[in-house]
Amino acid sequence: MPVMENTIGQLSANASKPMESKIAVAEYTPRGIRRDGLAGWRLMLIELAESRRLIWLLILRDLSVRYRQSILGYVWAIIPQIATVGVFAFLHASRVLPIGGTRIAYVAYALWGISIWQLFAGCLSSCTTSLVSSGSLVTKVNFPREALVIAALGQPVFDFFVRLVPVVAVFIWYGVTPSWGIIFLPFVLMPVMLLALGLGFVLSIANLVIRDTGNALGTVLTIGMFLTPVLYPPPVRWPFFLVNLLNPLSPLLTASQDLIAAGFLTRPEMFAVACVLSLVLALIGWRAFRVTIPRVAGYA
Amino acid sequence: MSTDTVISIEGVSKKFCRSLKRTMFYGVRDVACDMLGLTRHLSHLRRDEFWALNDVSFEVKRGECVGLIGPNGAGKSTLLKLMNGVTLPDKGSIRISGRIGALLELGAGFHPTLTGRENIHLSGAILGFSKDHMTKEFDSIVDFAGLEEFIDSPVKQYSSGMYVRLGFAVAVSTDPDILIIDESMAVGDAAFRKRCLDQIDAFIKAGKTIIVVTHNLQEIEKIAQRMLLLDHGLIRANGRAGQVIASYMNLLNTRKLLRKEFNEAAHEPAIEIVEVEVCGGDGARKSYFHTHDELRVIIGFKAYRPILNPVFRVQIYRNDGLFCHGMNTERHGIECGEISGEGTIILRYPDLSLLSGDYWVCVAVLASQYDELPIH
Repeated sequence: MPVMENTIGQLSANASKPMESKIAVAEYTPRGIRRDGLAGWRLMLIELAESRRLIWLLILRDLSVRYRQSILGYVWAIIPQIATVGVFAFLHASRVLPIGGTRIAYVAYALWGISIWQLFAGCLSSCTTSLVSSGSLVTKVNFPREALVIAALGQPVFDFFVRLVPVVAVFIWYGVTPSWGIIFLPFVLMPVMLLALGLGFVLSIANLVIRDTGNALGTVLTIGMFLTPVLYPPPVRWPFFLVNLLNPLSPLLTASQDLIAAGFLTRPEMFAVACVLSLVLALIGWRAFRVTIPRVAGYA
Repeated sequence: MSTDTVISIEGVSKKFCRSLKRTMFYGVRDVACDMLGLTRHLSHLRRDEFWALNDVSFEVKRGECVGLIGPNGAGKSTLLKLMNGVTLPDKGSIRISGRIGALLELGAGFHPTLTGRENIHLSGAILGFSKDHMTKEFDSIVDFAGLEEFIDSPVKQYSSGMYVRLGFAVAVSTDPDILIIDESMAVGDAAFRKRCLDQIDAFIKAGKTIIVVTHNLQEIEKIAQRMLLLDHGLIRANGRAGQVIASYMNLLNTRKLLRKEFNEAAHEPAIEIVEVEVCGGDGARKSYFHTHDELRVIIGFKAYRPILNPVFRVQIYRNDGLFCHGMNTERHGIECGEISGEGTIILRYPDLSLLSGDYWVCVAVLASQYDELPIH
């Protein structure tokens, strides 16, 4: 086999190139990176920067794999959302459910709300299952495994943009003109994703150890959707507004609605708190992930 | 740690839990403690836990090829995982100088629906290599794996051998300083195994360090100068390949004997083998025989009390563990009569019908001690 000889020649020629002067030394002890403190953060940031391409490739992988064996393909990103809004539009129109007045047409309001909610819920559940679904990659290969969790955001974010198609169509149909404030929308979407990522980091680890996490999350998210003013305007009466007040996603959702309908934030202080909370949660989740992943890699 | 030492493992222990439900429970507690930064007592065993690795220490120098052998569940894969940093030890420390390339599971990280081409690039990224590097190496990877025709098919349609070939090709293309291989070559066909062994040879010549886990003792003996024998999480032997393989065979035989024959109270041996000699037809000791030579196995025994018809057993194994021949006095209807005191028994093979190779002669006497002597 001449090809084979050739290959060995190439590979070994490559292998015998002079060794680089700097040799990486790794030390593994029971304490992991906990003792590193700030140096640990620096290491995490360097590794994150180095895994940019990996994250991107993982996102592309998920996107290209998801609908390879499917006929309707990306239409599946839209169907559940339209179905839910359709049902609630019917309940609203037939006065079965007394839903209060909304600033814009109800269907547009509900469709927008559910798009934001789906972004959050999609990110959270996709992060949570990211490690378990990667199987032996987590248990057998040593690489920055947070890349798997971060890359899990790709699919739901992409779905969000797909869902904007019916949203835009409905806005045009109902003659809703978004205010110029909509250009600040990315600053609302970022904290939504960070919030999901921070929780997702912790839940992905939990899901590795106890598989109930994934099942429980589905139920919690379903209930969560009804406890967040997605399909109805935020309640104002006591004690019902408490649910809204304690829900970290509510201010973000409200802010996005504000940007579309009014162009300014009605509750900027709540929005700021939610932003800071999201960022802090994401950082804590990331660190917790890094500290525990070598411990739980055996449970996958 | 001298500059030559690339892997240094000191007093490393790792525990595992037998029960899955308890694993969950302990896991939650450990994870919670880790996240909250509390110190835990790692060094004691909780219920249902055991040491998968127990106080393991050794060093590997640059340019060494070390074989890691042992029965199933000995802790070999756990040790490799620890070296690779996938999991952390519960005690001890591991120092690795240089970049590690690990094949703990070939094709780990391959996505079944992606094509071979896409998987090569993705694996490269997972292992931390740039796009340029992978593009440069792409052709040689495909060549090495011999998958030119299938490179654009999804890997779930590959045979398991093809899967393994692609995985090995990707791993060696990353040009690591230390290569860790876990029973990976077993699935490939003969031609590919040859290619892998050649590649490993080239790695050794280039001054790289290799650690191989395998159950194929014949194959490992060809490439590894040094071996480690792991059993129940302990290092039982560490040294020259031949010696360690001999201890491994000894260990396996002991297990077999223990299971089969050590049921009676054998703490005080009734009969013991004191000496075994392997001789030629002229009665002179030798360890090198030609096919069709005469072989004599001379067993010296010592009986501590009179025994009626003790059973002597002689077995011949090839060095890869293949059982070639075995006989025992009971099965062959040879009655030794009542024996007491010291004596010798001679087994003659007038026409040794073994092909060239290294063999062991294992000698045992029933319900008492066993002994064996490796010959080369």
